[in-house]
Amino acid sequence: MPRIFFATDLHGSEMCWRKFLNAAKFYDADVLICGGDMTGKAIVPIVEEDGHFTVTMGGQTQTVSHDQVGDVEGQIRRKGYYPLQMSVERLHELDQHPERRAETFQVVMLEGVQRWMEMAKDKLGGSGVRIFVCPGNDDEMEVDDVVRKSEMVQLGEGQMLEIDGFTMISTGWSNHTPWNTHREETEELLGERIEAMAKQVPDQSRAIFNLHCPPFKSGLDEAPAIDADLKLLHGGRALRPVGSTAVRQAIEKHQPLLSLHGHIHESKGAVKLGKTLSINPGSSYEEGMLMGAIIQLDPKKGIKSYQLVNG
Amino acid sequence: MADTTLGTASGTRPGLFLRNATGLVKAWSTFDAFIYSFWSVNLITLGLYGMSFVYTVPDGQVLAAILLFGVLTTFLVITYAMLVSVMPRTGGDYAWQSRVLGGGLGFVLSITGWWFTLFLWAPIYANILVVQFFGPLAYTLGWTGVAEFFSSKTGIFVSCLIVLAFVSIVVTMGMETYARIQKICFWIGIAGLVVVCGLLLFASPQDFQNAFNREATSLFGAPAGAYQATIDAGSKTFAGSNFGTFAFGPLLLLLPWLAFYLLWPNWGATLYGEVRGAKDIRKPFWSMFAGLWVTVGMVAVVVILINKTIGWNFYQSANAAYWNNLFAVEGAVAPPVPLWPYPVMFAGFLVDSHIFQALLIIVMGLWFFGWAGTLFLSSTRVIFAAAFDRVLPSWAANISAKRRVPYGSLILMIVPSLVISAIYAYRPDFTSVFLDATAILALTFLATTVAAVILPWRRKDLYDASPIAQYKIGGVPMITVVGVITGLFLLFMLYQWSFNSDNLYGTSLQKTPNSVIYFVATYVVAIVIYVVARVVRKRQGIDLDRIHHEIPVE
Repeated sequence: MPRIFFATDLHGSEMCWRKFLNAAKFYDADVLICGGDMTGKAIVPIVEEDGHFTVTMGGQTQTVSHDQVGDVEGQIRRKGYYPLQMSVERLHELDQHPERRAETFQVVMLEGVQRWMEMAKDKLGGSGVRIFVCPGNDDEMEVDDVVRKSEMVQLGEGQMLEIDGFTMISTGWSNHTPWNTHREETEELLGERIEAMAKQVPDQSRAIFNLHCPPFKSGLDEAPAIDADLKLLHGGRALRPVGSTAVRQAIEKHQPLLSLHGHIHESKGAVKLGKTLSINPGSSYEEGMLMGAIIQLDPKKGIKSYQLVNG
Repeated sequence: MADTTLGTASGTRPGLFLRNATGLVKAWSTFDAFIYSFWSVNLITLGLYGMSFVYTVPDGQVLAAILLFGVLTTFLVITYAMLVSVMPRTGGDYAWQSRVLGGGLGFVLSITGWWFTLFLWAPIYANILVVQFFGPLAYTLGWTGVAEFFSSKTGIFVSCLIVLAFVSIVVTMGMETYARIQKICFWIGIAGLVVVCGLLLFASPQDFQNAFNREATSLFGAPAGAYQATIDAGSKTFAGSNFGTFAFGPLLLLLPWLAFYLLWPNWGATLYGEVRGAKDIRKPFWSMFAGLWVTVGMVAVVVILINKTIGWNFYQSANAAYWNNLFAVEGAVAPPVPLWPYPVMFAGFLVDSHIFQALLIIVMGLWFFGWAGTLFLSSTRVIFAAAFDRVLPSWAANISAKRRVPYGSLILMIVPSLVISAIYAYRPDFTSVFLDATAILALTFLATTVAAVILPWRRKDLYDASPIAQYKIGGVPMITVVGVITGLFLLFMLYQWSFNSDNLYGTSLQKTPNSVIYFVATYVVAIVIYVVARVVRKRQGIDLDRIHHEIPVE
């Protein structure tokens, strides 16, 4: 019976992706599911001038030689950022032209996802391990095309997929956020999107809802309160539920065996919503720590066991 | 479609290009976080209560001791800020100890501090509520019966119930609502403190003696000359104290008393897993540092004003008379004013109006209500973390759907606290157990400090990837250096609490068998819980060792 390892919100951390692939062997998992938000949030320019390279990390600027650039790029990728070598002229061009930055972001993100797909093939090709990825609200739509072309990784978005007798539906779309990201919509439309898949599931007692956004007021959706200026309130300690009512309604209506979520990194947890076990393993991608959930499925019991881990 | 660019980092040359993505927020206000830390080292509630015991070290210069404590606790603050920066995890001490020292050790050491020992703090809070609020307020309003009820065993127990109810309500309301309440209490409480300090500043010692004598007769029915009578009562068991005396040895002996209120600027560290931006070490550091040092500064002012107007020898004599009579120390006699010597009430005496005095006590009571709500907040987070790790049952982390109340962890805190409160109220022979409440938390901090010291080697990957990896002193990781200093500081106090030959703190192991039994029992229970969890989870196919093992990267 399938043993699932689920992780989410890697946000470009190559270290976490490598761990994700290695989790199959480490946890004896035969199914890997990545829940979305694969792509990073920032480009770190490595500026070439006068035969050396200048880079700013953590507020500190350092100058390195050509031989050291590889190490610096590794450090940057580890945190989930995209290193990009460029000239001073290119730096100023990106600084002054938002549309160029947008283009550049898309290029580096898609290159990153492509590299991850190749790593998956190199690492787990022929192993029998199945890998599913469902891009999240922070991932541009073009990411799907890259995943779709992968020989090793299956795209989850909008699909109903069979996993050893269990059925998984997936979406990375979320309700609206203050950041107006790539896959956001109203609760009504999100509900319709989920319902279109959920109603096709033959047996909800053997169903997995892989929905990036957690259910509203589930304890898996508590995010720090912010004001209209995106400033954290009350020292960051005030929490508010920001999950989706549509996701909650779908879970309460269909009562799948398992629901997998991410989106809110700080809200790690596992809760029961009726018959459904809902999990958000959280995310610590910036530290290079892979937070995940191991779920052992069983044909009779449904879920034999689950465990949240910090790899 | 989203706007995919957000701009650049500050400076003439951009060092970072950001795109629009979930979670990119602006920094939280250090002031807001400072308030939480400030309340944790509460000058009025814990501070005045703790300082009422310094008469036990009559040659200890309290002002110098406070400053020394501030300096040493700064190392604790740096240690915790660095840990938050490396691993901003919900659960704080539990998470750090588990991931660095190992799951079993981490669970036992942190759960005894943040769960089992916090039971003891509920009745301590209740006693503070009685001596700083119910008692003085009732006497000032002429409600002698009410005041006497709250000094009885049942009155103390009722106060425990009030504290537990208040804390439960705060946890139920959530931190956002309580943070607002804290802010209101902060500003009104500060205004009240300014009034108290102003009264003490502008009154002369003779003014105070006259006012004390007047109110002792008016409110408590004491004979004339209560000021001198209080000094006389204290002198039966107390040799007197001079504010100007300075000796290094006694100064060090004051530190464990000051720990009662100054050791907790890191109280909110268990919550940092929920704080975006916590990885920036400056935020948690400045929040805790400011909370500590603003309090140190205020304590210094209050102590100087007490010495100036109330008189240091009188204040310490009043404390000695009150506590030694309560603890039935041989030769002790009852002071003419049967209440705990509350400097706020004393300052109020300087205005010949019971209405004003009552208002001042109510206003200063906000120092209690803005603070007490945090009693179980950190504990619930530690319980959450243990439940997520499957060491505790999953229901321990349950939250109600409608009001988002963490009822599982609340039950685990409230029920044992009720039992402990009853023991506190009705079994005075267990007093030493409660005096140990500070020491056990210090032991938990020590374990975390050990984790910090060895972190750069035990979790090299995390350390190297963290912002603090750049901080070194003489080639040694800074977290190790500050951790060692913090550890020595904590070890000194733990030694004094456990082995002081004069049983100065009422906690020496040889003299307090009940205390030893209680705390050994808590560690045994913690070990049993962990072993049972391992066995049960193994049968379910869950290996608890796996939680903390890092997946290879290559």
